[in-house]
Amino acid sequence: MTVPPLSAAERLVGTGLGGTVPAPDQADPRRPNGSHARSRRRTRGPAAEQLAVAAAIVIVLVAVVGPWLAPHDPYTVDLTQQLRSPSTGHWFGTDVNGRDILSRVLAGARATLSATAIVLAVATIVGTLIGTVAALSRTIIDEILMRICDIGLALPSIVLALGLAAALGPSLRSAVIAMAATWWPGYARLVRAVVRETRDAEFVDSARMLGVGRMRLVLRHVLPNSLSILYVQVSLDVAAVMLTISGLSFIGVGAQVPSAEWGAMISAAAGNVGNGWWAVLFPGLAIAFTAITFNLVGDWLRVRTDPTLRERA
Amino acid sequence: MVRFITRRLGQLVIVFAGLVVVAFLMSVILPGDPGRAAAGRNATVAQVAEARHRLGLDRPLLMQFGHYAARILHGDLGTSVFTHQSVLSDIRQVLPSSVELVVAGMIINLVIAVPLGVLAAYRRGRPADVVARLFVLVGAAMPAFWLGLMLQLIFADQLKILPLSGQLSFGVDVRRITGATTLDALLEGNFPAFGDALKHLILPAIALSASFIAVVARTVRSSMITALDSDYIVLARATGAKEWRVVVRHGLRNALVPASTILGMQLGWMLGATVLVESTFNRTGLGAYMVTGVLQNDLYAVIGSILTIGVVFLLANFAVDLIQLWLNPRLRPRRRTSAVPLVTSPAPAGGVS
Repeated sequence: MTVPPLSAAERLVGTGLGGTVPAPDQADPRRPNGSHARSRRRTRGPAAEQLAVAAAIVIVLVAVVGPWLAPHDPYTVDLTQQLRSPSTGHWFGTDVNGRDILSRVLAGARATLSATAIVLAVATIVGTLIGTVAALSRTIIDEILMRICDIGLALPSIVLALGLAAALGPSLRSAVIAMAATWWPGYARLVRAVVRETRDAEFVDSARMLGVGRMRLVLRHVLPNSLSILYVQVSLDVAAVMLTISGLSFIGVGAQVPSAEWGAMISAAAGNVGNGWWAVLFPGLAIAFTAITFNLVGDWLRVRTDPTLRERA
Repeated sequence: MVRFITRRLGQLVIVFAGLVVVAFLMSVILPGDPGRAAAGRNATVAQVAEARHRLGLDRPLLMQFGHYAARILHGDLGTSVFTHQSVLSDIRQVLPSSVELVVAGMIINLVIAVPLGVLAAYRRGRPADVVARLFVLVGAAMPAFWLGLMLQLIFADQLKILPLSGQLSFGVDVRRITGATTLDALLEGNFPAFGDALKHLILPAIALSASFIAVVARTVRSSMITALDSDYIVLARATGAKEWRVVVRHGLRNALVPASTILGMQLGWMLGATVLVESTFNRTGLGAYMVTGVLQNDLYAVIGSILTIGVVFLLANFAVDLIQLWLNPRLRPRRRTSAVPLVTSPAPAGGVS
C-alpha cells in the first residue's frame, strides 16, 4: 500500500506543535566549577561514542566479509595442529580439532549477528503491529493483547526460548524462531505506550479534523511520531538478544557443533578449558566486545533522542 | 488499596492461566509421543493406541486441555521419562539448591550494585563514576556461561583457591533437610561443611549475578541522580544534616523505589538464568534439571520447569507490588488507570511506561 506524501495543510499542522524544547543548561548549584566537569564530559563523550559507532561498523563489516578475512579455513580439521596455544601462525590458537580459532571467530560473526538481526526484525514488526492495534482499539482487544504480552513477559526469555527451541528441534533456525516468538511482547508494550500518547496529541487531532482517514492517520501521523523510541530500544536489545542466542547455542539447542557460531564454539571447548583456555576465551571476548559496542551505540541513541537524559548521561 | 490488590491478583490469575495454556500448547507441539512413551519401547500398535486412549490423547484438543489444566491444578506435572519420577517431586528435590544459588546471587547483586550506583551518582562525571560505568558496561556484556568457565579457569584451575564445581567437597557430607546445602549444614551445626558449601557457591553466584549487577547499578545511578537533584535534598542540606545522612536517608531511600521493581523481576530472571550456570558448575538445581530435560527430550520435565519459573516470577512481582505499596504512600492510588501492566518492561524505556 502506498501512502501519498503529506499535504501542505497537514505539514503546517505538524510544525511547531508537540516539539520538545531542550532543557536550558543549568549550572550545578552545589558545584561552582560544575561547568568545568561538564565540558570535560562533553569532550570525552563524543569520542567514546564515535569509537563505538566505528567499532559497530567494523563488526558488521566483519560479519559480511569475515570468511574472506580468515587466514585459515574455519572448518578444515587438522589433527596435527590440535589445541595449539596462541602464536604468530595462529593468533588465537587452535581448537581440539586443529581449526584456527581466529578464522572461526571471524566466520562466526555472520552466524551470530544475522541471527540477532532476524530476531530483532521479526520482533519489531510483530510488536509494532500488535502494540498499535492494542493502543488504537481502546477496547477489550487492548486488554486481551496486553494480557498475552504479560504471559510472554512472565517468563525469562531464555527459559521460554529454550523450551520452544527444544520443541522445534535443535538448530540455529529453531533458536531464532524461538527468540523472535519470545521477544515481541516487550516491543508491543513499548509501542502501545507511545502510541497511546501520540494518538492524543494535538497534531493528530488536528489532522483528524482535516478529514485524514484512519489508516493514513496511523501510518503518516501517529506511527512516524511514535517509533523513534523503538529504534533506541532495538539498538539496546542487540546485546541482550545476542547473549541469549549464544546461550541457547551453548546449552545445545541453537547452532550445532561444527558450526562457527560463538556460543557453540564455547560449548564445544567448555569441557577442555583447562588444556585450551584460548578456545573458550576468544569466542567469549568476541561476544562481550560486540555486546559492549552495541550497548554504547544504543545508549548514545537513547541520549540523542531524549533531551531530558542529555544532562545526566 | 484493597481494590488495587484484588486487581493485581486477578491479573496474576489470568497470566497464570495463560502460562498453563502455553504449557499445554508446548506439550502438543513438542516432539515425542507421550502415548508411545507410556506404553513402552516394544509396545504393539494396539498397546500404543490403548495407552493413548488411557491418557486421553485421542480426545478433542479442548477436552485434552481441560483435563490437562485440572491435572496441573492438582499438582500433577506428569512423569519424567528420564528419572521415572513425578516431575513435581523432581522439582521439589532440585529447587532448593537453585533458590540457594539465586539468594547468593541476589546478595552479591545488592552488595555491589547499590553502593556502586550511589557512588557513581554522587561522584557524577568524576573518575569514580567512569570506573563504575565501565564496570557496568563490561558486566552487562559478558555471557554468564562464559564468565562461569573463565572464573573456573582462573580461580579453580590456576589459582586453586576455590573449588571447581559441585556443591560439597569429596568426603564432606550434609544430611538433606531443606535441600539447600548451606542451610542444611547450618541447621546441622556443621560449620566446616557450611564453609565448604559457601566456597562452592561463590563462583556460580558471581557468574549468575554479573549481568544483573549491571542493570541494578545503572538504575540506582540514574534514580539517585534524579533524587540528588531534587528540592528535598537541597532542603535536607540546608537543615545542616550530615552529608551521608542526606545521601542515604533522603537520597537513597527515594532512589530505591524504582530499583526494588527491577530487583523483584530479577528474582524470576535469575532463576531462569540458572540454566546457563548450573550445568557448568555441575550443581543440582532447576536450571540443570531443565537443561537435562531439553537434551533428553523429557517433555514433562521441561514444561514443569517452565511453569515453576513462571510461577516464581509472578509471585515475586506480586510481592514487589505489595512492598512498594507499603514503601511508597504515593502509589496507593485513588485514580484507577485502565490496563495497568502487571509486569513492567525490564529495560529503562526512556521515561515511557
